[in-house]
Amino acid sequence: MLDLQGYGPRLFEGALVTVELAALSLGLAIILGLITATAKMSRSWLLRRVAGVYTTLIRGVPDLVLMMLLFYGGQIGVNAISDVLLYDYDIDIYISFNAFAAGVLTIGFIFGAYMGETFRGAFMAVDAGQIEAGKAYGMGSALLFRRVRFPQMMRHALPGLSNNWMVLLKTTALVSVIGLTDMVRVAAEASRATHEPFVFLIPVAVAYLLIASVTEWIFARLQKRYDIGFGEH
Amino acid sequence: MATTPTPLEVRNIKKRFGDTEVLKGLSLEAHKGDVITLIGASGSGKSTFLRCMNLLEQPDEGELIVHGDPIRFKQTRQGREPADKKQVVAMRAKLSMVFQSFNLWAHMTLLENIIEAPVHVLGQSKKEATEHAYALLERVGLTARAKAHPAQMSGGQQQRGAIARALAMDPDVMLFDEPTSALDPELVGDVLKVMRDLAKEGRTMIVVTHEMNFARDVSSQVIYLQEGLIEESGTPAEVLDNPRSPRLKQFLTPNH
Repeated sequence: MLDLQGYGPRLFEGALVTVELAALSLGLAIILGLITATAKMSRSWLLRRVAGVYTTLIRGVPDLVLMMLLFYGGQIGVNAISDVLLYDYDIDIYISFNAFAAGVLTIGFIFGAYMGETFRGAFMAVDAGQIEAGKAYGMGSALLFRRVRFPQMMRHALPGLSNNWMVLLKTTALVSVIGLTDMVRVAAEASRATHEPFVFLIPVAVAYLLIASVTEWIFARLQKRYDIGFGEH
Repeated sequence: MATTPTPLEVRNIKKRFGDTEVLKGLSLEAHKGDVITLIGASGSGKSTFLRCMNLLEQPDEGELIVHGDPIRFKQTRQGREPADKKQVVAMRAKLSMVFQSFNLWAHMTLLENIIEAPVHVLGQSKKEATEHAYALLERVGLTARAKAHPAQMSGGQQQRGAIARALAMDPDVMLFDEPTSALDPELVGDVLKVMRDLAKEGRTMIVVTHEMNFARDVSSQVIYLQEGLIEESGTPAEVLDNPRSPRLKQFLTPNH
């Protein structure tokens, strides 16, 4: 029997942090990705430019550097705000920049850029006639998005989205640098303390694989759902 | 909005694509019950003209008047645009379009296609829209295909389904953009039959078509377009049987 030497509950908690972090980051990344894709296809020069800078910046700077920049930058920002509140308004509160929130924001922000590219390609792949039909039948842009563009875009986006998700999941392993106790950090601590790295790292590897397989299955189901009506595959 | 006898009036529409002026000032008036057919060679501008009527193309100049209510435009850096998006949406909901390539929404069943705009644009209840949809499906002979997706249907079935989708809006004017041009010859008849029935029951229709027999039988007015201008216009007897312009005569000669 595998002996986790009392680290079992902490490893499990770490795994929950990993899953929550990954899921929330994915949600944020999807929202940012949709906004970015919309901005990139917009007629406004400014919006296109802002989205372009965002994706270039994110894709050109290492995730680890971005994560630390956002975390320390965020802490400095929060301190500045609480200083203003204290000295100018006499409100004394201490806000600590939450490491978990920082993790979600950073990973969401990074993958929002990749999702943006995925969604942009997917939106462009939707047949123009489908969109014209929506316009011709009196759909405004919000309704058209919800009823036609989004559901038709998804089948093109899902392969890329699923790919981004797998990378995102593994990127969560970086959050220990900003002090978050995910399962990798627990395993690293336990390995150092017990000098038995494999006892802890192999279960962690298996846990990642398990999360990846379950979500892969979910993505396959989603793909099937969004492929309905588009012939054989 | 009061229903005046003129559901759609189009005045002096001009449209350029780059340096090419494709519409050089076109006008028409669709009165209630009119069937107006637009004929002309490829590139004469007839489809673009039709697409300007529901603003799928933005005319550079000219007026659109829906039930006496002119569409308001504004000038932007990109050119002229409608000033009030809501007005455009309301106008489009009253003009249904049937496309050459059908454009039924691929991710929905035929029934879902038909109730989509009535439910989400007109705000009908799903139950009411579904009942109406089944009546329309029966009318176009597609009751059995209600739950099919467009990809599972023949072109003729898709186009009849698209006509049912258009009818579900209870439109004031139906716009047909070469509705039979993408169909195999043996499927054209079924679609034309549905359209003849619509004409007979007094629907107001504007039809871009190459089907001269159809145009002759159902039109109240035939308009012949030539290089973005109206070359001849009148009853089928005037335009199709006694053409005056040499180009129209040539156009009407079989295998021209």
